[in-house]
Amino acid sequence: MSKESDDRREVKVLTREKLDLRQLVKAPEVGPSVVGRSIVRTDAMLKVTGRLDFGADYLQDGFLHGKILRSSHPHALIKSINTKKAKELPGVAAVLTAESVPGRNGFGAIIPDQPVICGDKVRFVGDAVALVAAETEKIAHQALELIEVEYDPLPPVFDPREALKEDAPKIHEKGNLLSYNKLRKGDMEKGFAQADVILERTYQVPFLDHAYLEPDICMAIPKADGTMLVEGPMQAPFTVRRNVNAVLGVPINKVRVRQIPMGGGFGGKEDSPIDLGCRAAVLAYHTRRPVRIALEREEITLQTSKRHPMIMQIKIGAKKDGTLVAFEGVIYDEQGAYASMGPVIPPAGGSHIHAMVMMPGPYEIPNVKVDAYLCYTNHPYGGAMRGFGAPQVHVAHEQIMDELAEALNINPIDIRRKNGFREDSATATGQVLEQSVGLHDTLEVCTRAFDWDRRYQETGYVDEGKTKRRGIGIGLGWYRTSIGTNNDACGANVYVHEDGSVLLYTGITEMGQGSFTVLPQICAEELGVRMEDVRLVQPDTDVVPESGPTVGSRSTTLMGNAIILAARQVKESILEMASEMLMVPMDRLESRDRRIYDRDNSGKSLEFREVAARCMAKGKRLIGQGWWAPPPPTLDPETGQGNPYFVYTYSTHMAEVVVDMETGEVEVTDYVAAFDVGKAINPKAVEGQIEGGVAMGLGYALMEEVALEGGYIQNLNLKNYLIPTSLDVPDIEPIIVEVENRFGPYGAKGIGEMPNLPATPAILNAIANACGGRVRTLPADPERVFWAIKEAERAVR
Amino acid sequence: MKQLIELSVNGETYELAVEPQATLLEVLRNDLGLTGTKEACGTGECGSCTVLIDGRPVLSCLTLALDCTGQDIVTIEGLAEGERMSPVQQAFQDCGAIQCGFCTPGMVLSATALLEENSRPTEEEIRKALEGHLCRCTGYNKIIEAVNKAAGQMAARQK
Repeated sequence: MSKESDDRREVKVLTREKLDLRQLVKAPEVGPSVVGRSIVRTDAMLKVTGRLDFGADYLQDGFLHGKILRSSHPHALIKSINTKKAKELPGVAAVLTAESVPGRNGFGAIIPDQPVICGDKVRFVGDAVALVAAETEKIAHQALELIEVEYDPLPPVFDPREALKEDAPKIHEKGNLLSYNKLRKGDMEKGFAQADVILERTYQVPFLDHAYLEPDICMAIPKADGTMLVEGPMQAPFTVRRNVNAVLGVPINKVRVRQIPMGGGFGGKEDSPIDLGCRAAVLAYHTRRPVRIALEREEITLQTSKRHPMIMQIKIGAKKDGTLVAFEGVIYDEQGAYASMGPVIPPAGGSHIHAMVMMPGPYEIPNVKVDAYLCYTNHPYGGAMRGFGAPQVHVAHEQIMDELAEALNINPIDIRRKNGFREDSATATGQVLEQSVGLHDTLEVCTRAFDWDRRYQETGYVDEGKTKRRGIGIGLGWYRTSIGTNNDACGANVYVHEDGSVLLYTGITEMGQGSFTVLPQICAEELGVRMEDVRLVQPDTDVVPESGPTVGSRSTTLMGNAIILAARQVKESILEMASEMLMVPMDRLESRDRRIYDRDNSGKSLEFREVAARCMAKGKRLIGQGWWAPPPPTLDPETGQGNPYFVYTYSTHMAEVVVDMETGEVEVTDYVAAFDVGKAINPKAVEGQIEGGVAMGLGYALMEEVALEGGYIQNLNLKNYLIPTSLDVPDIEPIIVEVENRFGPYGAKGIGEMPNLPATPAILNAIANACGGRVRTLPADPERVFWAIKEAERAVR
Repeated sequence: MKQLIELSVNGETYELAVEPQATLLEVLRNDLGLTGTKEACGTGECGSCTVLIDGRPVLSCLTLALDCTGQDIVTIEGLAEGERMSPVQQAFQDCGAIQCGFCTPGMVLSATALLEENSRPTEEEIRKALEGHLCRCTGYNKIIEAVNKAAGQMAARQK
């Protein structure tokens, strides 16, 4: 919190030129330019006054209420289903089973392996065995109780290593190994032979729930012309559309998907809207009435995707001076019951591939070998959750770096200074990082802001009673912009009207991250108008160009570029016309702050809107369409070598914790996080992403875990699925560093997912620094910390 | 069987027939159309459904509408005067304390109640007052900053 109630507090932005570490430079927050300013988010007023309608706030008149009967078993054959009594209940409009699905009985973001309604078999307790639509939610609930299902239980599989065994029960016909990928670089034998120290460790992370506040909801509305309209909070309207159309068995153009305001997503609203969209659409298809499915909190936990759990084995070798020489890793990535977002999309999409690429960390290591297995189990399914495979491996590589530093008796900062990526470093996939590598900038600025060197000397007991110890920890991070698939691209349309007002059409969604503010900023900047002149159109697959999903920290960069290209087409018309009107050559004209002026004679100018009006009157083009795809990703399937993602965001986090040595309780007491974001289009929004991400990383470190017993989730609501509160999250100092990305709009690169990655290991490293015990299986709750302390004490004796 | 009650919400009095088991949240949202009050967990864990009853923050998902007769209820819709936001609302907007916005109404109401009772709270007092409100987006920092800023502005106005 700022020390006083000062509303002029400015966001610090450091550019490389200004990165004189003796002084933190304040970026200009004034001036006519729209980009780089902390403009208030466009939906703030509606949200703070309660006027913004989320899905649950939409009028329900005429809607049927859909409910889902879920499996009672984690793995079983369905022997019979009797829906007779449920169908007879007054107020019930439809009770559907597998044979009612008109088209393909399967959906999925990548592979449609999840049944809309299970017919012969269930694979986890969130599976649907029947769907009900009724006049009220209460009747729908009653109808679920009246459906009789007989199961023939099958032996379940709950561990990805067990799933790989030859005699393991098969969850899907094609076997339990969904994807396998490998990375090979250098010579492992030679590498380890050079090592003075070799460490072998295993780290393990559990399923996590996104715990977005807004419950999932979806509405399917059959239109008179045979089109199915699907509305809901969602991150990937185009993926929803291409599933609903197949499930209904109609062409893509017969399905219209509209994204409505979304109360948080974090990757979770990439999968669940596909699930709900298909199911609501099938109910609407049969009843010919609008159907809404609104999930209750417990249903969300049961049914929707989770962050993938991983078991990560690492063997690492280093010379005495800390130079890394070899890294060997194995990842068992648990996919759960269905493929969802998990499997490989060529060349470098998929959770285990992303984890494989990132596992060695942002460090130069000449010899690397990683094997990544993605396995089906009878648990909930893994999907994207803020970092998609990367938060998991950050827990591993940042902890082993600290364990290595300790074994070598080196300061944790120095081992990272020695090995961290610089410009022209080669990654484990052999990618040469030619540009926008600000890792060391973040490390140095964070070290200084946190005062690491002083604090490193001041750890130990903080109280006279000697029950609490202070410690500090560091975590470095790197994260891609884009998703590494061949089809990764964004389209944007820009329409300028005769009064100078602008409509911006994109398929990027707003879930709270601020895209509906940042994207119009880019549009306004490029056209030379004001922020308030641009209205962004709510994503609607009938109206906006294909933009892919709002994931992978790709929106600002990919869509930003598409918007710039679209705006430039219109600007060309405007400048041509202005050139005629002013009798000034086009290349001397500048468009800025609603005026077109002669750069050499600023007195010679026109209003943007006059020129737009003249263009309209003369039949000149005022519509632009932009399309931008990043440099194509590559990744050799045999060697794992290539350029999987075109640019990375880098970061350093430092945390201070106090550990209660008697109870194992941990309090995070101070925090600094520095990020190289290329260019902060809206610095305050970037800070918001950093602070929120740190809080999420803190939850991963200390408290969050979907607790499973025999395939059943034990903590279905927020009472026992704990997320950080205002008392858990410390004062966070976010620092923005700008090392230009030459492929990015105004130099920007992604930030959305990144901030939670280094937070988790920074806190875990601080715990180890404080109490001597290391927690390698998350979360580091008081019980685990307590036992880690006891283990460390035994080791000392 | 439905019962007739009188509810005073945002200064207006409503006469309503409600089911005895209807929660205040259901009545506000479904009968009065005041959908600014949000439901995220339905079990009193998250604070999203907070409203003010006689100036105190209350979880409307755990409160029976029947028990609210004769009490003064304020929802998020009742804070702004026309287009003029309350100081807390204004500070939330200016400080970047809003992301997805789902927790915002409850958060703003609890902060308003806090500042009514304690015009210059410390950071710890703000954190404590908002402890029952879950936010998954912001990490709370900018929310605490906003409450602090609103306190400063309200104090300055009173001088």
